Amino acid sequence: MIEKNVEIINKAGLHTRPAATIVKIASQFESDFYIMKDGFSINGKSIIGVMTLAAAKGSVIKLTFEGEDEVKMSDAIIDYFNRGFDEL
Amino acid sequence: MKIDKKNISQKESITIKYFHKHTSKNFGIVSYTGEVGFDRTINQPNLHRPGLALAGFVKLFSYDRIQIFGNTEISYLNSLPIEKRKIIFENIFEFNIPCIVITNGVMPFPELIELALKKGIPIFGSSLDTTKISYLIVDFLDDVFANKLSVHASFVDVYGIGMLFVGKSGIGKSEVALDLVERGHRLVADDVVILTKKGEGILMGTGTSLGSHFMEIRGIGIIDVRSMFGVRAIRFQKRLEVIVELEVWDPNQAYTRTGLDITNIQIINVDIPIIKLPILPGKNITVVAEVIALNYLLKHYGYDAAKVLSENIQKKMERPEDFDISNVNYFEHDFE
Repeated sequence: MIEKNVEIINKAGLHTRPAATIVKIASQFESDFYIMKDGFSINGKSIIGVMTLAAAKGSVIKLTFEGEDEVKMSDAIIDYFNRGFDEL
Repeated sequence: MKIDKKNISQKESITIKYFHKHTSKNFGIVSYTGEVGFDRTINQPNLHRPGLALAGFVKLFSYDRIQIFGNTEISYLNSLPIEKRKIIFENIFEFNIPCIVITNGVMPFPELIELALKKGIPIFGSSLDTTKISYLIVDFLDDVFANKLSVHASFVDVYGIGMLFVGKSGIGKSEVALDLVERGHRLVADDVVILTKKGEGILMGTGTSLGSHFMEIRGIGIIDVRSMFGVRAIRFQKRLEVIVELEVWDPNQAYTRTGLDITNIQIINVDIPIIKLPILPGKNITVVAEVIALNYLLKHYGYDAAKVLSENIQKKMERPEDFDISNVNYFEHDFE
């Protein structure tokens, strides 16, 4: 299992489009992917879930990956977070 | 279904502001001290009647709970001269108490308000009697401090039975929920369902404050069930009664055929029956879901089809001379 804290760095925060992209990336992998914020954990493959996190700029969320392709999956997702959802 | 312990969360404290917002709306609690002390916190779901503490015995004073002033406390304080009362209040306020609730609609003593404002401790009042308001506050605090679990699932009220659909991403949970809504059942939440333990042995399910009745359907995108199907198609909370786990049919797995044995899954220490449903071509999951709900209702009212059939077989076996394989042997000219 891989656990990693990431910060939202783009101005608009984790809004609809990045949420959709995260889910799209996550769905390409087999592993389980959870996002935790404020003590609540949601499935990273559910678009409504990711959107309703309403993670604004500056908020820190915890990502967990678990499964056979967890390394590849975490690389792809964390990279997308670090790129500020390509909105920087 | 996999229950991940780390998905269970629990509130450690609430602010007085939060307490006041909800109790004033739900039980008509009023504040006598404005918004003084609204940033104080409540850390546990218990109440305390400080009768003995008022009388001077503070050895076991549970000061960190909400303090309830009922008839006993008020009559005792009334029996004292004002100077004595002031000393008592000062003694009490030495402790870090979250707030005081005065019941039976009794107006607080002016000297109590004065000191509370000075110390920044809120004084609330309720017109209800002590037993009633204590019950309501404890019930409210129990829910607030209860264990909560968020699950990736669809939650639908089917004929009054709270049915939770779980399964892997993309297996069709939302589509089943949508189909059920179309047939007149009510959606509670899709995608993110929050389960809260209520009392002993009851789990209540609801959606998140943001995404309650929104749904994602592959190929369409996001839809709002409430505006599309109207208020009859939704509800905000429902007790969880059955879990239906959807999975791709696995020939190596034995699926329930008689229904005589019920498999339970434990969620936050509550046993909930779980039914594994294999997805097969030509299988209408919606109809099966309705049947599961109806069967649950029948069982609830004392009729268990599997048991009845099994008993009938038992009876026949005990009296083989009456045994007939066909239900009707003489067709009485009824050639339909």
